[in-house]
Amino acid sequence: MSEKELGKKWDRCLADGAIKLGTGLGLGIVFSVLFFKRHTWPISFGSGTGLGMAYGNCQNDLRSFYMLHSSEKEQ
Amino acid sequence: MAAKILPVVKLATKVTIAGGALYVAYGSGLLGSSEQGSVALGKAKAAIPPAVQEWMKYFGLEAQLPTIPTVEFSPVQTWNSGVRKTISTLSEAPANAVGYTNQGFQYMKDLTKKEETPNIEGNSSAIRSGD
Repeated sequence: MSEKELGKKWDRCLADGAIKLGTGLGLGIVFSVLFFKRHTWPISFGSGTGLGMAYGNCQNDLRSFYMLHSSEKEQ
Repeated sequence: MAAKILPVVKLATKVTIAGGALYVAYGSGLLGSSEQGSVALGKAKAAIPPAVQEWMKYFGLEAQLPTIPTVEFSPVQTWNSGVRKTISTLSEAPANAVGYTNQGFQYMKDLTKKEETPNIEGNSSAIRSGD
């Protein structure tokens, strides 16, 4: 993997992390206000879930270069 | 009758709002892959300044916000130059240490020579004067 490609992957990871953190926070606020009587834990749960999803995406993205796809394996 | 229906209506409204929020989040690619996330961030960055301007016009606050000064600071470049400087300093450290040590020895030698020579000069002048 070239350094440029790695840099782009990291940029995508950071952007995705910011988006998913914000989305999780927003959805957590919505659920907290609507269903859980404005408690804090749904907000924390949503933010954590968003960060976790971003982490998983980033991990897959960085590993994808080294993964052998089944189509290549057959060849 | 109305008292029994009202909680159901409230719950249904809440579920609709929450479901709608989830649907919008999923539909706009906010919960998808990292490519979709970065595309969504780019769209949000492009959409925010015109939206802020429109809202300011709507509320009558037409005074323009001061523009953020563009600081030409690249954290990546700074980090890379820091790493390069650190590694070059570490690689030159043994040679520099030897050089500084030699300079220190030379300085001490010069000091001891200077301390010796005034005594010699004092003795020779005393001999000449006959003391």
